[in-house]
Amino acid sequence: MRACVLAAALLAALPAAAQPACNPALPGGKQLESARFSLGYRPVPGTVAVGRHFALELAVCPKTGVQAPESVSVDAHMPEHRHGMNYKAQVGAAPGGRYKAEGLMFHMPGRWEFVFDVRSGGKSDRLTQSIVLE
Amino acid sequence: MKRRPGVRALCAGLLACLAAVDVLVARTEGFATSAVEFTAAETGRILQHGPWPMPWSPDPSNRVSGRPEAVALGRDLFFDPRLSGNGKSSCATCHLPARLFADGKPRGEGFVQLDRNTPGLLDVRHNRWFGWDGAADSLWSQSLRPIVDRREMGASTSHVGALVRGDALMAERYRRTFGTAPTDDDTVTVNVGKALAAFQETLVSGRTPFDAFRDAVARGDRGEADRYPAAAQRGLKIFVGRGNCAVCHFGPNFTNGEFGDVGIPFFAAPGRVDPGRHEGIRKLLASRASLLGAYNDDPARASATGTRHVTLEHRNWGEFRVPGLRNVARTAPYMHNGHLATLADVVRHYSELNEDRLHADGEKILKPLRLTAAEAADLETFLRSLSDAP
Repeated sequence: MRACVLAAALLAALPAAAQPACNPALPGGKQLESARFSLGYRPVPGTVAVGRHFALELAVCPKTGVQAPESVSVDAHMPEHRHGMNYKAQVGAAPGGRYKAEGLMFHMPGRWEFVFDVRSGGKSDRLTQSIVLE
Repeated sequence: MKRRPGVRALCAGLLACLAAVDVLVARTEGFATSAVEFTAAETGRILQHGPWPMPWSPDPSNRVSGRPEAVALGRDLFFDPRLSGNGKSSCATCHLPARLFADGKPRGEGFVQLDRNTPGLLDVRHNRWFGWDGAADSLWSQSLRPIVDRREMGASTSHVGALVRGDALMAERYRRTFGTAPTDDDTVTVNVGKALAAFQETLVSGRTPFDAFRDAVARGDRGEADRYPAAAQRGLKIFVGRGNCAVCHFGPNFTNGEFGDVGIPFFAAPGRVDPGRHEGIRKLLASRASLLGAYNDDPARASATGTRHVTLEHRNWGEFRVPGLRNVARTAPYMHNGHLATLADVVRHYSELNEDRLHADGEKILKPLRLTAAEAADLETFLRSLSDAP
């Protein structure tokens, strides 16, 4: 009986053990936390400039006991100007369990706010960060 | 008794806010001339308006961009009235070289009076979107539109194809430029657009008094900076400062290349609205000549990123492209429909901006500047300093 319990525990542990650890820390990037997720992001290319399209590399890591994200979306807006981007970012899966958001562009200097929406288990976590682009 | 938050608590809160904000560009130091003191933020924005001329590389979506034989062919086509349906008007009929490739009229005139002002073509190569509504995403695509528009040059692709194939010298120049003899009408017409674009890419404005000032600021050369008229300096401070003009008129070409509603009436005629960018996006996405289509010569399609991701929003109604301001004093009248006759009128428009005319979900930082007469004159003087000739 004890052997059976041990085998069951090992089997249950195997899938988790086979997955690489999710690391939200991207070199040169930023990291945000919600109740259920740690999210790292960094722009590609490395600097964001007014009027230039850029992409974001994302690492979205569920915290203990949280299901993996079902979907990740990225948007951005200018709170003081009360408008968003003129472009819609598309998020796709990238190698290593990461994501890549493409097609972003900040068309004005000023304060922008990234809005990351991570959906899992029928709920969404919204993570935000302001950046000032001069 | 309630206690008000102390200074320490306020500072801690402020620091927390600052920590949450990622400032992506380091601030520069301020700069002072004998006449005007510019803050660090103002100085940073001044520097962003240069250097001029901007570096340029050939358009990857146009395989003949930058090639001399294409420039020469495009120049001749630009002035050739045979491109029009009745053989009487060329591109240069409205885009007059003596008027910096504009026409000086409030609205363009083809076979009928058009809804919009004819824009000048200097520095057009730096645009992201073309036309007041951005319905074209490349200069070559934009160059096709007036040729086949029945209100403008009134030709057709079959007319253009027959013209190029039927003129032995032009057919030979076409072959030397594109590597093949002229074939089907659509391909020939698109290639005519690409040759026209190659020519227009050579139309670049020269350096201006502002550029000399901007470069002096970059060098920290106060003596040279003092040569820039004090009134222009004061106007520049309004432009990059409390006027917020540089938010949209950003960068070396004084435009962010995007679109805005600035309270200009958008009725093209009684009862008929010019939808501006809203219709422009719809036309763009329906166009076979967009960068998403087969005529884009860029195999990687990196040039099509903007077209692939552009979104259609309700706020796009009545938005028009933010024009560059180089040589603005020489390209009156102003706005998408030539509604404002003089530069003074433009300054007055922003000074007395009627917020009731603005789109309800449009830009919220647009406010009347409430300039004094002296400030308005200074702002106009600054704008005149963006000319490369008197």
